[in-house]
Order: sequence, then structure tokens, then C-alpha cells
Amino acid sequence: MTEFLNDNVKGQVREALAQMQHPVQVLFFGSKENCDYCNDTRQLVEEVCALSDKLSLSIYDTLSDAAVATQYHVDKTPGLVIAAKDGDEITDFGIRLAGIPAGHEFTSLIQDILLVSSRNSGLSEQTRETLQGLKEPVNLQVFVTPT
Amino acid sequence: MLAHMMALESPLVQAEMVEATEFPELSEQFGVSSVPHTTINRGKGNVIGAVPEANLLAEILRSIAA
Repeated sequence: MTEFLNDNVKGQVREALAQMQHPVQVLFFGSKENCDYCNDTRQLVEEVCALSDKLSLSIYDTLSDAAVATQYHVDKTPGLVIAAKDGDEITDFGIRLAGIPAGHEFTSLIQDILLVSSRNSGLSEQTRETLQGLKEPVNLQVFVTPT
Repeated sequence: MLAHMMALESPLVQAEMVEATEFPELSEQFGVSSVPHTTINRGKGNVIGAVPEANLLAEILRSIAA
């Protein structure tokens, strides 16, 4: 099978992932039906997760693993959840990607991994305080395109 | 990315990055014509373009107060 990431890109990603502080769990959700990009996305994250020993990958199917998909609020495929891993404990921060993380979004995927790995949002003190004061759920959906 | 930073910070914030061309019905539902386009609580608020964190935060607060 042809790999998506050539040696040059792999080297760059490996270098970026060397900054990881804490382990990260990537959860992949695919489906066998009506999912043009599931196989490609799965292969891509498999290649990425092989580049750091702080990265773990688990593979789910939204139909046969419906309970897990519900638990992680995944309703689109391919879907990715970037979560923290501390020992056997997985912490879901609500960080998800829907669709193949190609092009610009590949950079976002790597940045998300580094963000979760740092366990630090990097937001300003004022923003942090305001967010801590939230009383109700906030759902953000950011529409992007790969080019 | 900013949305994901906010999700990391607050257990009440969920943030999903959606590849618009793969999910055209959803994109159409929220009137996405340029990217990035952030929709808050399924259309209660919208932010077009990449904005500073204070601006996104202000729109979030406006959306949940509305």
C-alpha cells in the first residue's frame, strides 16, 4: 500500500511530535457505508500515530461501536477525537475533527495533538476566566476546507 | 484551532472542525460560503473568518445570552 506521507514529511512530523509532553489518544471513527474518505483518513492517522511513542490510536466503527460514538459525540465519518491519555485513563476535552485532515487540516491535526499533549490551552488569562464561568454547554463547529 | 483551545480549557465547550466540502448539507444549513466559518450552538451565533480570541469569546457570550 502506498503511504501518504513521504520520508520528508514524516521527518517534519516526527520533529514536531518530539515536542509532545504527555501522551495523546487519537480515536478514529469510520463507517463501512457512505464514507468516501474513511479508509484514507484511517491510513493517514495510522501513519501519523506511528511517528511518536506518545501517540496511541484506537479504531471504531460508528455502527458496530455505536455506544462509543455516542459517548464521544461523534456523528460524522470519518471522525477523529483527540484526547488525553494518562495511564489507562482517557480524558475527552471535546476536541473533534470531521472529514479527512488533509492539506491545511493536516497541520491542524498535528497542532491539535500538540495542544492536547501540552494539557494547556495557551489562552489569555481573561479568556480562561470567562470560560471557567460558563454555566451552559457551548458547541462550536468550525467549517474549513483543505485548500 | 482557537475553538479547540477553548474546548481544552472548558469542560462545557465542545469544538468540532468540519471539512465543509465533505458535509455540504451541514455547510448549507449554516450558510457557509467562506472559511473558516464558526457556528455557535448550531446557528445561534456565527463568526466568519479567523478572529482574535476575544472576538470569538464575545460572540459565544452573545449567543448564549440571546
